[in-house]
Amino acid sequence: MSASSASEAAPDCRIQTIEELHEYLYKGLQLEHATLPPYLTALYSLHPGKNADAWHVIRVVAVEEMLHLTLVANVLNAVGGTPDLTRPGFVPTYPTRLPCGPDYFEVHLRPFSREALDTFLKIEKPAEAAGEADRFVPMDWAALGLTSDGAAPPPQELAELEASGAILGLVPGEPTQRFASIGEFYEEIIRGINHLEDQARKAGKTIFTGDPARQVTPEYFYSGGGDVIKVTGRDTAVAALTLVAEQGEGLYGGIYDSQDELAHYYRFEQLELGRYYQKGDDPGAPSGPELSVDWDAAYPVKPDIKLADLTRDPEVLAAAREFNESYATFLTGINLAYNGQPDLLLKAVWEMFRMRDRMNLLIRNPLTGHPGANAGPTFEI
Amino acid sequence: MTSYDVTDPMIFPAGAATQTSAAEAAQGEWDAVVVGGGMAGSIVAEQLGNAGYRVLILEAGPGKDLDLAEYESYLSRFYGAAVKDNQSPYPFNPNARMPRSTDTMPVRPDTPRDDFYLVQEDGYCTDTTFTRVLGGTSMHWEGKALRMLPEDFDLRTKYGQGLNWPLSYDDLEPYYRQAEAELGVSADVEEQAYLGMHFPEGYVFPMRRMPPSYLDRTVARGVDGMRVTLADDDYTLRVRTFPQARNGVPNPAYDGGKGFVPVGAVSTSQVEEGERCQGNTNCVPICPVQAKYHAGKTLTKALRRGNVKIVTQAVASKVEIDERDGRVTGITVKNYRSLDSDSYETYTVKGTVYVLCAHAIENARLMLASDMQRMSRSKLIGCNLMDHAYLLSWGLLPKPAGTMRGTSCTSGITDLRGGRFRGTQAGFGVDIHNDGWGWATGSPYTDLVELVDQQGLRGTELRRTLGNRISRQLLLAFMIDLLPERSNKVTVDDRYRDALGNLKPVVSLKIPPYTMRGAAFARKLAADIFDRLGAEDKTVYHRDRPSAVEHDGHWYNIVGGNHLAGTHIMGSDPATSVVDHTQHSWDHDNLYLVGPGSLPSIGTSNISLTMAALAFRSAGHIARHLRAAKAPVTVRG
Repeated sequence: MSASSASEAAPDCRIQTIEELHEYLYKGLQLEHATLPPYLTALYSLHPGKNADAWHVIRVVAVEEMLHLTLVANVLNAVGGTPDLTRPGFVPTYPTRLPCGPDYFEVHLRPFSREALDTFLKIEKPAEAAGEADRFVPMDWAALGLTSDGAAPPPQELAELEASGAILGLVPGEPTQRFASIGEFYEEIIRGINHLEDQARKAGKTIFTGDPARQVTPEYFYSGGGDVIKVTGRDTAVAALTLVAEQGEGLYGGIYDSQDELAHYYRFEQLELGRYYQKGDDPGAPSGPELSVDWDAAYPVKPDIKLADLTRDPEVLAAAREFNESYATFLTGINLAYNGQPDLLLKAVWEMFRMRDRMNLLIRNPLTGHPGANAGPTFEI
Repeated sequence: MTSYDVTDPMIFPAGAATQTSAAEAAQGEWDAVVVGGGMAGSIVAEQLGNAGYRVLILEAGPGKDLDLAEYESYLSRFYGAAVKDNQSPYPFNPNARMPRSTDTMPVRPDTPRDDFYLVQEDGYCTDTTFTRVLGGTSMHWEGKALRMLPEDFDLRTKYGQGLNWPLSYDDLEPYYRQAEAELGVSADVEEQAYLGMHFPEGYVFPMRRMPPSYLDRTVARGVDGMRVTLADDDYTLRVRTFPQARNGVPNPAYDGGKGFVPVGAVSTSQVEEGERCQGNTNCVPICPVQAKYHAGKTLTKALRRGNVKIVTQAVASKVEIDERDGRVTGITVKNYRSLDSDSYETYTVKGTVYVLCAHAIENARLMLASDMQRMSRSKLIGCNLMDHAYLLSWGLLPKPAGTMRGTSCTSGITDLRGGRFRGTQAGFGVDIHNDGWGWATGSPYTDLVELVDQQGLRGTELRRTLGNRISRQLLLAFMIDLLPERSNKVTVDDRYRDALGNLKPVVSLKIPPYTMRGAAFARKLAADIFDRLGAEDKTVYHRDRPSAVEHDGHWYNIVGGNHLAGTHIMGSDPATSVVDHTQHSWDHDNLYLVGPGSLPSIGTSNISLTMAALAFRSAGHIARHLRAAKAPVTVRG
């Protein structure tokens, strides 16, 4: 991602109105959240007391995704928007699809495994440096199996697809194109903010009209790593979005971000390479302490499990429904926190423990009629 | 050797715990040899290391790096233990034993009991403990971080009891602040300015106070405004939160507006955990996420510098003394191979100064085993052993009050810590326990056994009854002052030795009437509080236990506080004290005894914060001592 500065002209800025900026930021919330169910499913599939290294690596990344969600909400609040984590389709139906350069890849709900780690690496993979021309990629709807002729689906169907989060990284309102990477998506938002703020200033105004009391500040959010940024203007908005982008993939090709946190991609890569990174290391060559992964020490959660898979186990089905309800309640609580009651985030801490317990309940149960597979959370909200 | 991340205070330098062998350490001379890798030892080593000195830490506990895998092995051992005492997270180590509360009974030579590490031969036995692993007793402490009251420093002058300190509250105040930064203390100044405790203008604690639990607020409804009369003075009680060395919400006003960054879990890789307390209720013995301070956080900083080294599995066994001038010439250590074997090798390490930071009992034990009492002018090594005397009272509240939620203890009653009544009876603090009756009765396990075996409950009814009962449990723990008494002491006895042939500590501790008068008053106060809360008093004391103490025709059980202190007290006269106000030995010029053993009284505050403050203060004096000792000799021409 190449960071824009305010002085730069915004030639091809896709975001021309504040409403469009709000919609982009909503998509950002949806995108940041979409990684949580896969990370949490893998995390809680680990056998207790085993795989401590993998446990902590995934845990930190999941916690930092919550930080990203909060940072995007802060930006949206700062520009007068209203975060809404309760919109139908906010939680995607899995598998969902994320862009990675020329390809899309599927993100499944899966137990901890080599395949799951491979997906996580793709989610956080540093983007290839993109020129102006290849920041966008034409949408190949046929390759996704969604239309037969490769053209965009009819408007009604497209609106549903967009809302459902089944395909992430689309250019909002332009069904023929998508972003080459998540980094480019945030780059576009930063350009939009700069453009709109420049325009507003010419008229003696600002787009940062949000109530500062709606900001989530560090006292309400502490993460495994990285600090929440209070967004009050252009600089803090750009800083927040830059942190979101770089915490996944590292800063300027380095393995650490600007807050000295090891980027997610390299955290995951440690599990693949069997060794921790430390300061001064180059990508791909960690030199810290060794770590070990036991690939078999995980419960075999049925991939992309749905409530429909649980009909022969009524008690498990009831527990799965209960989990989905409590997850919806949890999102409602977080949403209230992002809408002027930041202290509700403190309460969310014990709700997360409860969520963990409910997930464990499901994940430890073998399924009837699916030999060798265990139940798991379905995240059908 | 790998290069260490010098910017992240939570990265433990990989290999640091094992890279220096005892054999290497025994070659050449260190600037300072520190015995003990606990809170005091870590602070002294870190401070001297920071001043540029070469420091060797000798640690008796097992020798592994402080990483998350090691820490979590402690956690899983604790989770799996049937008896969850203070030492339950740690492996049994025959070569550096520790006392266990389960071993509390009189020892008779040549009986199975003579295997206990802490030898007690009296009828009254304390179940007090200290921990011998890397990090010391900070690996099981609760994390309360109270300052001592200004009046605690001159108890003798003020109330004719105990001993005066050679220091005042004001002398120690700046070091209290330094300790509060190092330990990461959460508290609000407004709430802590009582009974004369004062803070510099504008001071705030690093982090805001831990929120009071629902149980605290329930108790406050009965207690706040309650009046008691003691020695003709009236006191009004209130529930107040305790300062805690665990991570809370950082105070943005700290350090003139610079704020505070909490130090979370330490490990050899970036783990990002423990920056905030999550309200797990097993603070004692071990915080699952390292939100509670332990000495490893200081040790991590110390070892990163490169000029501070550590040798583990090295039990300091003898302090070598030059009989002519009384100077220490070395520390002889037994470096054992593993926890499974008693084979060891012996080395003597040498330094310009020696700092014993092995905690009150081990410091005294080591010196007595080294025949240093003979050279002591005061003959007080091992004497004046102190620990808080705990009296427990427990009741059942009329309605569920959220017991088992939150940090082990968030609030209490502190109004009777000080006052003129201390002329006749001991002051005390009161802890409201968020973890139920566990300490007193073994709840919740004992509740479960009773409900199943005696009441025959099963399934939903069992769950409901258990939940209802536990969430109504209120335990008040009265932490009562115990004054220094010469006869309360640690000694050694040739009949009792450990696996490495080191002499074990023999402890004799009796609870004096002054303390028991406080206990009797505490018992009545507990009954009054239960009455005001509509709680059913369930307290029962057993006269057949080693903790039984009789006072005025009534029996009480006085249990240990794990706040061991006073075996080498500080004073201003070598005839009546073992160290001076800098914790410098009166009798050995290059020896410092740093730790709670130097405290001439313990008042009603948990000892760690005061011990840490003293360690910071002494580190400055030791650095000055080293500067003078290492100054080039002036040759007259």
